[in-house]
Amino acid sequence: MEQKIKALNKIIQTLKEQAELLSKEGADLPCVFRNSQRLLATIKMLELEVSDIANL
Amino acid sequence: MGYVDQPYWNPFLETMSQRDLKRLQLAKFKRIFTWAYEKSKFHRSLYEKAGIKPEDIKSFEDIRRVPKVEKSMMRDIQRKDPFPYGDALCVPLDEVTEFRQTSGTTGQPVYQPDTWQDWEWWSESWSYVLWAQGYRPSTRVFLPFGYNVFVAFWAGHYAAEKIGCEVIPGGVLDTKARILKIQELRPTAMMATPSYILTMADTARKMGIDPASLTIERITCAGEPGASIPGTKKRMEEAWGAKVFDHSGATEIGAWSYECLEQPGGVHVNEAFFLLELEDLETGEIIEEPNKRGKIIITALDRIAQPCVRFDSKDIGMWDEKMCPCGRTFRLLKGGVIGRADDITKVKGVLLAPSAIEEVVRAIDGLGDEYEVIVEKEGDTDRISLKVELLPEMEGKKESILAKLKDELRLKTNLGYVIECVPFGTLPRYEGKAKRFKDLRKH
Repeated sequence: MEQKIKALNKIIQTLKEQAELLSKEGADLPCVFRNSQRLLATIKMLELEVSDIANL
Repeated sequence: MGYVDQPYWNPFLETMSQRDLKRLQLAKFKRIFTWAYEKSKFHRSLYEKAGIKPEDIKSFEDIRRVPKVEKSMMRDIQRKDPFPYGDALCVPLDEVTEFRQTSGTTGQPVYQPDTWQDWEWWSESWSYVLWAQGYRPSTRVFLPFGYNVFVAFWAGHYAAEKIGCEVIPGGVLDTKARILKIQELRPTAMMATPSYILTMADTARKMGIDPASLTIERITCAGEPGASIPGTKKRMEEAWGAKVFDHSGATEIGAWSYECLEQPGGVHVNEAFFLLELEDLETGEIIEEPNKRGKIIITALDRIAQPCVRFDSKDIGMWDEKMCPCGRTFRLLKGGVIGRADDITKVKGVLLAPSAIEEVVRAIDGLGDEYEVIVEKEGDTDRISLKVELLPEMEGKKESILAKLKDELRLKTNLGYVIECVPFGTLPRYEGKAKRFKDLRKH
């Protein structure tokens, strides 16, 4: 289980980095910025569900 | 095993040992406390007065030194800058995407801002509720509530979508139209207050439709404690031929608890997302042992726009001594929310919780679902009267039913009542939170 949590967390962190990058690069484009903000909110839920355990 | 066969929304968290859950709660409490301390003027001022800083939070004993927040404190800061939330707001106003407010049952409503992340968190918390109660992508859900400023079942709607259910918003329809919509679209699940579930059943019967003949298999109740009151639960389940599940939550807190498929006689506290402390009503000590009533102090561990840190909910609960056979390690509150500290009142010198009256009335066969309690002064003494409805077909058994009611009330509440039996269908029916207990005494 620990391995699985670590593996999932790794993917979540990669996603987060990419979503943050997307948000930054698309900061002048409403369609990109707002959608990437929503994406980050969803990624935060994944952090609450998985990453918080990985970081215990 | 595919994900739909998974009994838990999150098996990592829902089956985590209590030891690890405590570690997680402590870490998350530190995080939200630090956030509130750094971002909210209101919270910072409160904590500075108490002499507590984020670095002081190292144990649960330290958490207990953190001042509680009461609803009245939230009322005081609201409608001020930044309008309309006041200085407990932790994010810029343009990050707020959701407005909700409390129902105002106990005074001026409190406004509740949420960011989109908070709203995701609302639906995430509700996903625990619905998944545990058997909602799956194949479930067709009907929501017979007025979509408005009250949070009510809004997050239930979003959670059902997140799970993958098909969601039918039964908003601006009257009760008859909602019954017809259920008949037409054949949903298998529904969410409403216990009062409204009973009102809908009553309306369906008047329309010549047996609600149990409709397609509803599961019902999620919130807003009132009825789904954990055995007599009320039984009435709803029999009326609809469905399983009825309880859920407790609040606008200022979030969706913090849920009954699971095992129906263990209580609700699981989502201990991964919330820290629930039970406080002794007299000494203020934290209660860890089972079967002892206490006031629920609760922290939403991940809500950011307007944090909820050690919020005095005024709700009453008690820990169950048993763990649930469902395998969840989240502890159970026996009987769900069993009352409110500010509802408990003295009548003729006896402490009375209004829910005890509901427990008696709803457990007696032959009585209708509705009742009304009025407490008033008669000279220097209290007078408590109870109006009930007899089911039309039970007229011949009126005397024995009322005698039983009187005896049970005396036994459960230690009080004598003036009981009046009114014609069936004349007491008010409720769509939202019911107001069946009226204290007319001037305190």
